Amino acid sequence: MSKRLSVIAVLAGHTLRDAIRNKVLYVLLMFALLMIGMGMLLATLSYVERDRILQDVALSSIRLFGAAIAIFIGVGLVHREIDRRTIFTILSKPVSRADFLVGKYLGLVATLWLMLAAMSIGFVGVSLVADAPIGPSTFAALGAVGLELAVLVAIATLFSCFATPFLAGCYSLGFYLIGHITRDLRAIGEASDSEMMRTATAWLHRILPDLESFNWTIEAVHQLPISTSEFAWAAVMGVAWCVAFLTVASLVFERRDLR
Amino acid sequence: MVVDETPIVSIENLVKDFRPGFGLRRKRVLDGISFEVRRGEVFGFIGPNGAGKTTTLKVLMGLIRPTSGGARILGHDISEVGFRRHVGFLPEGPYFYDFLTGRETLDFYSRLCAVPKPERGRRVEELLHKVGLEDAADLRLRAYSKGMLQRVGIAQTLVHDPEIVFLDEPMSGLDPVGRKEIRDLIAGLHSGGKTVFMNTHILSDVELICDRIAIIANGRIVHEADAAALHAATGGEVDISVIGLDVGIAEGLERDFDVQMEGRGERIEIRLASKHVDEVIGRIVGGGGHIRAVAQVGGGLEDLFIETIGANRQQAAR
Amino acid sequence: MRQWGTGAALLLAACCVIGLSHGKLSPLPRTAADESYLPDPAMAKLTSFGFDALLADFYWLQAVQLLGGPEGARGKSHRIGALVDLVTRLNPRVDHPYRFAALWMTDDLAAVHKANVLIQRGIEAHPDDWRNHFHLAFNYFFFLGENQRAAEVLATAVVLPRAPVYLGRLAARLRSDRGGLSAASAFLATLLQGAEDPQAREAYEQALQQVETERLARVLDRARQTFRERHARDIVSIDELVTVSPSVLERLPPDPFGSGWDLNKEGVIVSSGIGYRYVPQIDATNRQRIRQTTEGRTSGG
Repeated sequence: MSKRLSVIAVLAGHTLRDAIRNKVLYVLLMFALLMIGMGMLLATLSYVERDRILQDVALSSIRLFGAAIAIFIGVGLVHREIDRRTIFTILSKPVSRADFLVGKYLGLVATLWLMLAAMSIGFVGVSLVADAPIGPSTFAALGAVGLELAVLVAIATLFSCFATPFLAGCYSLGFYLIGHITRDLRAIGEASDSEMMRTATAWLHRILPDLESFNWTIEAVHQLPISTSEFAWAAVMGVAWCVAFLTVASLVFERRDLR
Repeated sequence: MVVDETPIVSIENLVKDFRPGFGLRRKRVLDGISFEVRRGEVFGFIGPNGAGKTTTLKVLMGLIRPTSGGARILGHDISEVGFRRHVGFLPEGPYFYDFLTGRETLDFYSRLCAVPKPERGRRVEELLHKVGLEDAADLRLRAYSKGMLQRVGIAQTLVHDPEIVFLDEPMSGLDPVGRKEIRDLIAGLHSGGKTVFMNTHILSDVELICDRIAIIANGRIVHEADAAALHAATGGEVDISVIGLDVGIAEGLERDFDVQMEGRGERIEIRLASKHVDEVIGRIVGGGGHIRAVAQVGGGLEDLFIETIGANRQQAAR
Repeated sequence: MRQWGTGAALLLAACCVIGLSHGKLSPLPRTAADESYLPDPAMAKLTSFGFDALLADFYWLQAVQLLGGPEGARGKSHRIGALVDLVTRLNPRVDHPYRFAALWMTDDLAAVHKANVLIQRGIEAHPDDWRNHFHLAFNYFFFLGENQRAAEVLATAVVLPRAPVYLGRLAARLRSDRGGLSAASAFLATLLQGAEDPQAREAYEQALQQVETERLARVLDRARQTFRERHARDIVSIDELVTVSPSVLERLPPDPFGSGWDLNKEGVIVSSGIGYRYVPQIDATNRQRIRQTTEGRTSGG
């Protein structure tokens, strides 16, 4: 068991090292930081609640670019290794495919969290400059973004196991968008007269990852208290979704022929 | 060079179908192949391009799942993972992470194989020395030549001191010097007691280093042979080029051994069946002739290869 | 070297063409022509895919920009209402937009009613903020003349954190004396104090001036009554209050608008700058008249 863990750790470290060399990542990061800065400019268009607009824009940029980076690096997880033919030597070692996937996945999560940390520093920086409020909710919201990105990269990992990066990107984006509206859909469904509509939207909300549970933008910006239990349950659910996606991913990957 | 008779690899009725795309007909790439590799030997797995060599190797490495049939390595089913601690694999034209140095690459693979820490550094240095990459150890792989990459590849198969190594086309794409280096490395492995399973289509290399061969064509094993049996089975001819040959002796040779002669200035080329080589050379030298060169013509593995593949093609065409 | 030259020339030419076409093309977004279109709030929430706060900011900035033109908020109540509705549905936690609606949606009674619905939503989102209650009470009192309702709203606001102590007194006054000028100026002074932008401040200052004008006009009304009693006739001009002896006034109070006092066609004492008398319980048409005259004054002088 400890051997498996150390193999996973080696792969994760190696993946992190590989991923942070990708220049596209830095372009996206630059854009994110630019957008965070742009928040300051946009805020001046309003004569009131400039803090709110600044932090809305900045936090939304972090979420948007975080998701973009997660999908971008996630969809290439398996494909890149096959494309570069580096996967052959790794899997011929005593490394199971599941361990390979988990190791790579954890490396990408580490990469994403590094990027998130960089963007968070930008966020806190502009907030301090603009004298906008920073509190426990801010950090909880940023932490929740980290969870969302972990789930998102797990989704991308699953698709990368059987689809080309482009298609895997499209599928992951679809999941991301739907994941953010299942709550709204459910609310719309509940207001509907049709029993079928109510059931369908409720089930849609249950079987797809509810990514809105990681969206604490409004709470963070308005410095509203975030319930510990709700945050904890969101975290538990996030980890469970990661496990679920990775399990399906390794089942799919296990069967795949690596030609 | 101790060859143990117990099989280290045994393949039984291996079948692999590929489906080129949804709804398309399956294509049978491996059609029930069976053979064994014995402990301590250098086994040459040869065949034309597309015959199924690499597919077989990837099935053995667990990279491709067989459609039916199976194989065992070191007594373990190939779907297992743990026994790979004792197996090394060099894929064709190996690719590594080009941002790592040679030393880092070997360290990475030895970690993957869970080589204990104290041993790791020592083994890496040892292997760098063995494959002659000590000077380039701290260069990134993107600066490596093809031959150097191949040597890193071989070192990588050995970081965990495996009992058997599988090499896919280890000599392809290399210049003659590179080929010789790799060949020497393989010979070194052999004398170190390792079993080597080698895919190749470079027949001269096979003749030089393999103990046994199997020929695959169209997904079937068409021939299996020991190197000794190979030499015995294949006759062939020998060319001897001589100067200062006495005319009487020349006539005697034509009469007794059914040789063909051709004069080129003062040099005479004599072609004869290889079984008469000793006697003919004895007469020439005895008659005051000077031998300038002796060369094997045809025969050997190449003829065997072309014959068996040709026969197989005809069969397939019928 | 020649390649560089060709390249530079091409680049320059391209830049010129781009500049030229910019001049030919309209710089405005094509959709701006159809300004009336705004998405349904539920649809907007759905298609924001979790970026509802950002989208709310986008529409909020649009609402703020509406005030930028020369006409200010005039005639834009409907659009302001739609934008604030969108903003507050996308992000109910916003604070100022609710009061923004109350402040600028004054074109007609329907707009005021719509604004009241929005500020009521603001009270639900921020039940502890006395300012939203105060704006709602002001709307009831100032535009709709519903003093009792205004008093009720104020009474609930009194106990809220940081609520000024005089809210209670204001509520009591609204209950007893149909509002009156002092209530209006108390409301307006509070609003002026809390005004977050210069435009709102200007609007409150003008309203306060009008209330002050009305207070002085009432002083003149009382003097005119005294004049009638003493001289058994009405005044012909305002000056008679001072010039005909025994005079009822030592001198005329200064008109806050600086334009002097006058008798209008109906023979009512008015500030010549306004031309009519201010009514605290203002209805829409009255409000409209006030605005026209004040704007005529500011643009004219």
